Amino acid sequence: MTDTPAPKPKSRLARAWDSDFAWNFRHSPVAVVSFVVTAILLLSALFAPLLATMNPFDPANLNLLNGFVAPNTPSEFTGETFLMGTDDQGRDVYSTILYGMRISLFVGFAAVALGLFIGVSLGLISGYFGGWTDTIIMRIADVQLTFPSILVAMLIFGVAKGFTPVEYRDQLAIWVLILSIGLSDWVQFARVVRGATMVEKNKEYVQAARLIGRKSFPIMIRHILPNVLSPVLVIATISLALAIIAEATLSYLGVGAPPTQPSLGTLIRIGQGFLFSGEWWILFFPSVTLLTLALAVNLLGDWLRDALNPKLR
Amino acid sequence: MLKYIAVSAVSLACATASYAETFRWAGTTDPQTMDPHAVNSAPVLGFLNNVYEGLVRRGKDMSIEPALAVSWQPIGEGEGWRFNLRQGVTFHDGATFDAQDVLFSYQRASNEASDTRSWFAPVSDVKVVDDYTVDILTSAPNPIFPDSIANWMIMDSGWAEANNAALPDKESGNYATLNANGTGAFVISDRQPGLTTTLVPFDGWWDTAEHNITEATFTPIDNPATAVAALLSGDVDMINPVPIQDADRVDSRDGTRVVRGIEARVIMLGFGHEADTLKYTAMEGEKNPFQDVRVREAVAKAINVDAILKTIMRGSAEASSQLVSPAMRGYSAGLSDRPAYDPAGAKALLAEAGYADGFSFGLKCPNNRYLNDEAVCQAVTGMLAQVGIKAELDAMPVQNYWPELREDNFDMYLLGWSPGTFDHEHPVRFLVSTPNSEKKLGSWNFGGFSNARVDELLPLVQSEIDDGKRQAMIDEIVGIYQSEHAYVPMYVQPLVWGTRDNVNLTQRPDNFFILRWVTMN
Amino acid sequence: MLSYIIRRVFQALLVLLIVGLVAFAMFNFIGDPIDNMLGQERTEEDIARLKAQLGLDQPFVVQYFKFILSALQGNLGVSYEQGRPVADILVERAPATLELAAVSGVFALTLGIILGVITAIRRDGFLANSIMILSLIGVSLPTFLIGILLIYLFAVELSWFSSFGRGETVALGNWTTGFLTASGLKALVLPSITLGLYQMTLIMRLVRSEMLVVLREDYIRFARARGLSERAVTFRHALKNTMVPVITVTGLQLGSLIAFAIITESVFQWPGMGLLFLNAIQFVDIPVMAAYLMLISVMFVGINLIVDLLYVAVDPRLRV
Repeated sequence: MTDTPAPKPKSRLARAWDSDFAWNFRHSPVAVVSFVVTAILLLSALFAPLLATMNPFDPANLNLLNGFVAPNTPSEFTGETFLMGTDDQGRDVYSTILYGMRISLFVGFAAVALGLFIGVSLGLISGYFGGWTDTIIMRIADVQLTFPSILVAMLIFGVAKGFTPVEYRDQLAIWVLILSIGLSDWVQFARVVRGATMVEKNKEYVQAARLIGRKSFPIMIRHILPNVLSPVLVIATISLALAIIAEATLSYLGVGAPPTQPSLGTLIRIGQGFLFSGEWWILFFPSVTLLTLALAVNLLGDWLRDALNPKLR
Repeated sequence: MLKYIAVSAVSLACATASYAETFRWAGTTDPQTMDPHAVNSAPVLGFLNNVYEGLVRRGKDMSIEPALAVSWQPIGEGEGWRFNLRQGVTFHDGATFDAQDVLFSYQRASNEASDTRSWFAPVSDVKVVDDYTVDILTSAPNPIFPDSIANWMIMDSGWAEANNAALPDKESGNYATLNANGTGAFVISDRQPGLTTTLVPFDGWWDTAEHNITEATFTPIDNPATAVAALLSGDVDMINPVPIQDADRVDSRDGTRVVRGIEARVIMLGFGHEADTLKYTAMEGEKNPFQDVRVREAVAKAINVDAILKTIMRGSAEASSQLVSPAMRGYSAGLSDRPAYDPAGAKALLAEAGYADGFSFGLKCPNNRYLNDEAVCQAVTGMLAQVGIKAELDAMPVQNYWPELREDNFDMYLLGWSPGTFDHEHPVRFLVSTPNSEKKLGSWNFGGFSNARVDELLPLVQSEIDDGKRQAMIDEIVGIYQSEHAYVPMYVQPLVWGTRDNVNLTQRPDNFFILRWVTMN
Repeated sequence: MLSYIIRRVFQALLVLLIVGLVAFAMFNFIGDPIDNMLGQERTEEDIARLKAQLGLDQPFVVQYFKFILSALQGNLGVSYEQGRPVADILVERAPATLELAAVSGVFALTLGIILGVITAIRRDGFLANSIMILSLIGVSLPTFLIGILLIYLFAVELSWFSSFGRGETVALGNWTTGFLTASGLKALVLPSITLGLYQMTLIMRLVRSEMLVVLREDYIRFARARGLSERAVTFRHALKNTMVPVITVTGLQLGSLIAFAIITESVFQWPGMGLLFLNAIQFVDIPVMAAYLMLISVMFVGINLIVDLLYVAVDPRLRV
């Protein structure tokens, strides 16, 4: 984003600070707050090993007798206390949230990047060339839409299991999640980009570029792409929140992150099993974290959409 | 509109109060068929026990008692058993029960198309002596035969033949898949597969009814949280199971309570004995450490079963040293100690076996088969990590799990076993005996444990009539599988049912829910 | 135009065939139905025999062609789990899903439009901002959690609604409806909210942003200048002009309401097609999974076809 302080000559920084976009940002409290919240969450995920009190992903660190300890109360068996309590395995909920958020954010960003890459490429190609290329790509999109992401996840998981070398197996689930969420995500990018491309390609500047003999791909990337990016950026922001939630849902359906390395979504899935039994903290803290994260990202996306929409200035 | 909804809410409340003798219960899975010979699984047999009956049945304490047979005695020197049938019994459709129905049900249940065929492996012939006497001949003396046929249910030959259901059809189903005609206490009045099944009492039942139900409906609810909510909100009168963590909540709430017991199912860890190398490890190509009995013993010592029972099982399960629970026939009372939790001892054993630095391996686990199975496997992973061996946990739904085990894709795995015959011979036959598909032995012994003495003793156990001698041989087998650490038995799974306060019921260790013992106040 | 339609229908059929092929290729990886169909005491030979009987020992392409051939003759096969024709099961389960989707759709559309209008005309007001943030909270939590929380609050603690199922239903021929009984209507409330919440937020935000644009158009200013009441301006002029994109999006979302009712139906034990599909996955009931996926793809392809045809009818430039 243009407003992040960067080690650049002062004049440029000042120019960015004075731009419409930055002015708009500075004068929207919602945007500032959600940006700060997102940044804090991102940073705490990034520096999880420094902030956490234990590494919950190392099974050797877990003492089962520390299981189900309520927030800030000493354990019945070991006397240890935990800020946000512990889960059924004796994992410190606070540390697990930090580590789990890393996985959720990684899956979210990677899935959106994948969906974005496939969707924008296919959308550009589809809209620019039209004809049979367009038909085939759009029909592939139809096939894709039919498959619920749970099925895609199960398929990829099954196929991947056969081909992954043993030592990468425990990473497998994460990549399966990224692939399956990314694959069920690309269609919306493709549709938006295709629509915008079909409009852009008939404009004079593209016709002109064609006339002077420019090749198709450079035209697509240099001329059309920048003009279709703003709706894509907005969808991408909202998709990030959706991808993090989708990961939780897949976990609920039994194809999520491995239980020994729980993501935020897996933690919620585990926690909802303890809703009636009174161990509210296992569900509550991860849910609030997910809620805050998704809310902040969504609000940022909202603001971005309004800010990039010239009709609303 | 709002007013209308409010009014209808009141009328609904009144309606619920007026048909209180309708009993509504929920379980995790719908019985997939109404055919008592098509699928040998607990949900099906448990449900159909309310509709069909066998020659013998199990009482509240699991003891064998007369049902369609009034008495039975061995023939000669263990050539078989003679059953004297009950007279004046009718099926739900009014047909009379007699020896022809027993013969027909034997032929039907022992056919290749039936899943119950293995029960009749010891049977050589069935002879109708007269209308109410049947001889069942066995190829070798079989002292426990009457015990082993409590779930063999008798079907009316005329009904089955008239409806083209003389044999079960697993592949495409037939009339008997959706309809039932037994002699039991309840008649199926409505069956919507996967949704609800409604039963009403059978007026012409030969026994005296103990229950006061006028109608009973069963609904499968596979989401545990929804099932608990349904019980707490009074939408159902009974659920099985209550998730272990919710038991206290259900028990302490006004209007609901929990009925606890110990199930016949033992949860254990199994090893790949046969495999020469580990499948999931960084040290590829080296010898499989689990072939060394010291390593297996180290695993047994590294697992703190008490901690699992205290936290994950919340005190409702019992530790186990054998492949059956103490309530089962043939339990070895003298061998009830399981290896004590001893991480230092486990490390010493590992060092002695040459694995002082530990090793990594793959642990397979189902995540929707046994109570809190995934949590238990995670705990096991942690405990093993603390003695220096690193398990790569792979937890999966049960539909993927069995194929993985059959294809030998494991180094260690979690298994639960509930003996269908309630006898120690059952797990020995299926889990300890050397796999032999011709003799139908060891079909669940995925790791391929093999011990010549056990294989030698098993047929002797099967045909020994004298209880003392039989127990001595079982004790020897237990001694072998314990000292060899063929499996690491951990605990006996608990039964946790939840009911409304006004319901009285009886819980049996086989987890069968028997409607004729339910009364509602 | 006619040749375009024929071409599109032909393509749609091709899509269906490919969906089927992909579906059958993935069934192998979902698991193995055999262990569910045989009991504890099965032997290796029982397994082999049943596999051969069901044709599971053959390559998936063969299984697929068998399925297509019998489907063309109107036979969708027999469910492994229930032992009866899949077509019967789908007919039995469809009303539950369709009624749930319809009620959620109406809920999402009505509330979405009303809240969208409010947030647009009171832009940046306290009420509008609260509505915007509250609606976002609804989509920032996974559906299963929202469902469970609703059950906990309204069924367990307050006892206002039932915790699962459809309540009492009335059979009208082949169609069972929950609309005609009080308990049936009550049972619809919580699942419809759970299922419709996401679409509601989507429609609300769409209406809001379209309204914000429209309210700045000249003709609205003229209408105001002519002294028309604010309400007449808002509803008769502005809202009317936002309806085209809203209806398009709603149409597309209707398909996904039905397809993605899976989670809601599982949380509320709603006896519809989504629950059937989830159970089928657990059982590896291949005929049911295949038929369900084909049905869903017919629906998606159909809706896409209609939308595309409408676009072409509206904007001839898009004809390729």
